[in-house]
Parts: sequence; structure tokens; C-alpha cells
Amino acid sequence: MKRREFCRTAAGTGLAALFPGAVRAARHRPSLRFLRPPGALPEDEYLATCIRCGQCGEVCPNRCIKFFRFENGLASLDTPYIIPREQGCILCMKCTQACPTGALQPVEAQLGPIINRVRMGKARVDENLCLSYQGKTCGVCYRACPLQDVAIRVGRLEQPHVLEPCVGCGLCERSCIQIPQAIRIIPDHERRIA
Amino acid sequence: MKSWQRHLNKLRFVTLGLVFALLVLLPFLHLYQTYVAAHAYDLLTPGEKLVYDTMEALTAPFTDDPEQDLDAVKGTTWSGSLFGLKLSDPLAVLGQSAAALDVSWPFVLTALIPVLATVLLGRFFCGWICPATLLYELNDNFAAWLRKAGLPVARRRLDRRVKYLVLAAGLVISMVTGTAVFAAVYPPAIIGREIYYAVAVGGFGAGAVFFLLTILFDLMVSRRGFCRYVCPGGALYSLLGRFRALRIRRDVTQCNDCAKCNVVCQFGLDPWHDDFGQECNNCTACIAVCPTDALAFTLHLKDIPFQGPGHLGHAYRRRQEAGAVHEEAA
Repeated sequence: MKRREFCRTAAGTGLAALFPGAVRAARHRPSLRFLRPPGALPEDEYLATCIRCGQCGEVCPNRCIKFFRFENGLASLDTPYIIPREQGCILCMKCTQACPTGALQPVEAQLGPIINRVRMGKARVDENLCLSYQGKTCGVCYRACPLQDVAIRVGRLEQPHVLEPCVGCGLCERSCIQIPQAIRIIPDHERRIA
Repeated sequence: MKSWQRHLNKLRFVTLGLVFALLVLLPFLHLYQTYVAAHAYDLLTPGEKLVYDTMEALTAPFTDDPEQDLDAVKGTTWSGSLFGLKLSDPLAVLGQSAAALDVSWPFVLTALIPVLATVLLGRFFCGWICPATLLYELNDNFAAWLRKAGLPVARRRLDRRVKYLVLAAGLVISMVTGTAVFAAVYPPAIIGREIYYAVAVGGFGAGAVFFLLTILFDLMVSRRGFCRYVCPGGALYSLLGRFRALRIRRDVTQCNDCAKCNVVCQFGLDPWHDDFGQECNNCTACIAVCPTDALAFTLHLKDIPFQGPGHLGHAYRRRQEAGAVHEEAA
């Protein structure tokens, strides 16, 4: 190990010992746009609770759950994530029941519990990109939504309107035919469940 | 009459192989489940079709509904579920409780059965179940081979207490950083995860590199060095199994001082001098190699202190003869 690296590591360890709270807050730098699987605790609690066993990914029938290497920092190593553009969550809630630690809180696969307890993020429509807002009737996102008419509604020319109950599963972003996609999930890493 | 216990070592290798094979099979079963769920056999690539057909042939006798039924066995030795019974490694529970600074009882209870088994059987997980053990033992056989060829490999002895320090340091780091760090450095957790990555996600992750380093450490520095000196799980299991009920003891009247047990013990323990201690993982390699059946499992909470040289050996006979001469002289 080079001396500089050694010093940096030593300093880091010292700081961590002196100010554990500061280190806990600093180590999560949101740089990537990813979702945690449904039912996940708020990000800091989530990282402390997950044991990186990978069972959420192993039960996912849609193979949307992937695992971080070093892309999101050391603390996220081997933790599960979802990139909605690659593969959205179908809200089967199997991962929440497979999680042994409660890092993903168990949620029943029914409309009520899903709306109340899942907060992966929220869809947002970019009206400058959306075909329906440009006068070309589309409506694909509306038809892909598993919570149709609850989380998303369409108006004139199939223009999508995202509603409050949207849980951020990402199926709309996955299905959007516009490039770059006009509807995207804004991740909610606070995940405060009302 | 040879004791049946000398066959246990073969049974152990079968068990280790089965656990490893299961860890390889499970990701393929998961892929098969996802293919079934997608209802699109025609769209699979030839490779995926091969997986589908193989797994269908394997599971068809047992299930009509693979998509649901194959959820019965999931996970790895780090944490998994067997027919609805959730089981976790005690190290996972300890590390997670430290990281979260909180005890979540449903999760803690998943380690209950492993902990009870360890209290009774000692470090048996290390010898009989751990998927890394299979690879480490094969690696040790390779080292023995190199040694025979004249290369001085894996000769160093370190301090066994280092692993307890690793365990303590890991707990402190978990508490400070709020992350369960053991998952990244504990070989059985790494192996299950990496096999899953390699099969179902594509490519190995960071853990594979770490595991290769431990293999090299075992090969170049010290025999089974990681398990003996570094592994935090080994440390925890050693502590839990300190007063295990099932332990190997030497029958001094049968021992001929050949010392084969000491040579074969990969953990560098000293069965020949009755020194097993909490580090013994009940692997039964010494029972299998003993030519006179002097070593056997017994139900005792403690090792016997050194009983002297074996009664079938030269040292004991010489001492007896000397004693007899003394008695005649008196």
C-alpha cells in the first residue's frame, strides 16, 4: 500500500471513530438513478439492515433486481437495485416476503398495502418529450401501469397524468417508446411511509 | 474390527459436495422459474432453452407448478429458506445486529437452529457444510502435492487468536459504519452470492477476487490459513462450540503414536496429544486416518488432558520395561 493511501485510510478510520454520525451521513452520495426493491427501509436504515444475502434477486420472477458492485460506493456493495429502464418491478412483492431481515418490509401483494407501503419513487412526465403532449396520441405508459387509473390517468390525446398513489415500479419508464424516455421514475431514497 | 466412524469423512465430502451442488443448481432453477413465468419458450436463445429443458427434466417429477413450488428452497448458507423454514448464519445475525444497533427478533430467531446445533456439535458448519471448505480442502490437497514436488508452500504458523480479533474488529466496524461488513469478507457468504452472480446475473463480482486471495493465502502462507487465523465466522463458531457435547477423543490404550492424525489435521491441531480445543471442526479426517481406531466421537463437554504416549507405541513399551526393571531391582 502506498503511503498516501495508508494515510487516507488511517485518517478515515480515525474520523469514523470520532464522528460515526458524520460518516454515516457522508457515505451515501446519490450519484446513480436507481431504485431499491419494494418495501425497502429508508436508505441509511436499509444499508444497516441488509445482510447482502441476495434472496430478493433470487425470487424475483421478472429478474429486475440486480446487485451493485462498486458503482455506488463501498456501502452499497452487493445490495440490490432496480434500473427501471432495463427492467421494471411487477409488484409481485415476493422479494419483500423473502427478505429475512426486514430490510425489505413484508408487503402483501394487494392494491391497498402496495399503495400504502411501497415508495420506490414517483413517475414524472417530461411534457417536452412526451409524444401525447406533442399531439401524437400514444398512451403506452398508461397501458403498462399495473395500477392503471389509480397511479396514472390519461386525458385528452392520451396525455398521461401521474397521480399521488404512484409507487415507482418503473414499468411506464420501461415501456416508454420515446428516446430519451419521456416518463421517468424519480427515486425516493427517503421512503417515508405516511 | 474397524469402527464405522472412519467412513464419516467420506460422508462429509458427500455432504460438502451436495451443498456446493445445490448452490450451483439454485440459480439455474431461478432462471428456469423466470422463463416459465415469462411464457415465452419460443423467444429463448439456444443456451436458455438448454437451461429450460434441463431444469424441466430435473424438476418435472417433483412439481407441476415450478413457478411457485421451486420457491421452496432459496438462498445460500449465509441466509436461506428451506420449505418455509428460514435459516441464517449466526454471523449474519450478529453482524446485522451490530450494524443496525438494534435486535430484530424474527431475524435473530432464524439463527436459533444453527446456534443450538453449534453448541452441541461445535464448529461442524466449517467441516461439514461451508461451501468454501470444499474448495479450501481441494486447495490444501493441491498444496500437499506441491510440497511432495519439493516446493516449500504454506509452512507458516500464525496466532489462532487473530480471528477473534477479526471478529471483534468486524463488529466495531459494522457499528461505526452502519454496514454489515462480514458479508463482504466471509467466504461462505461470498461463494453463494458469486455463484448466483455468475449464473443468473452475468459475471463474478468483487467477492470472487477476495476469495481467490484467500485461496492464495492458504497456498502460499499457511495451511488452511484463512479458516484457522482470519475467518470471523470460524471465530464465532469456535466460541459457540467451546463446550460442545460431541467431540473426538483419543483412546490411549489403542494409540500407537504414529502421529498420522497430526499430519492429516488441516487445522494444525494435536489429536496425538489429546489437544483438540474449540477450533476442532469435527471433520473426522483424523478418525479416518487412524490405523488402530484410537480416535472416536464421544459425548463429553471437555477434552481430556494429555494422557501420555499411546499404549501400542514404542515410548510406552520402553517406559513399561524400564518400570518393570525398577520393580525387580527393588
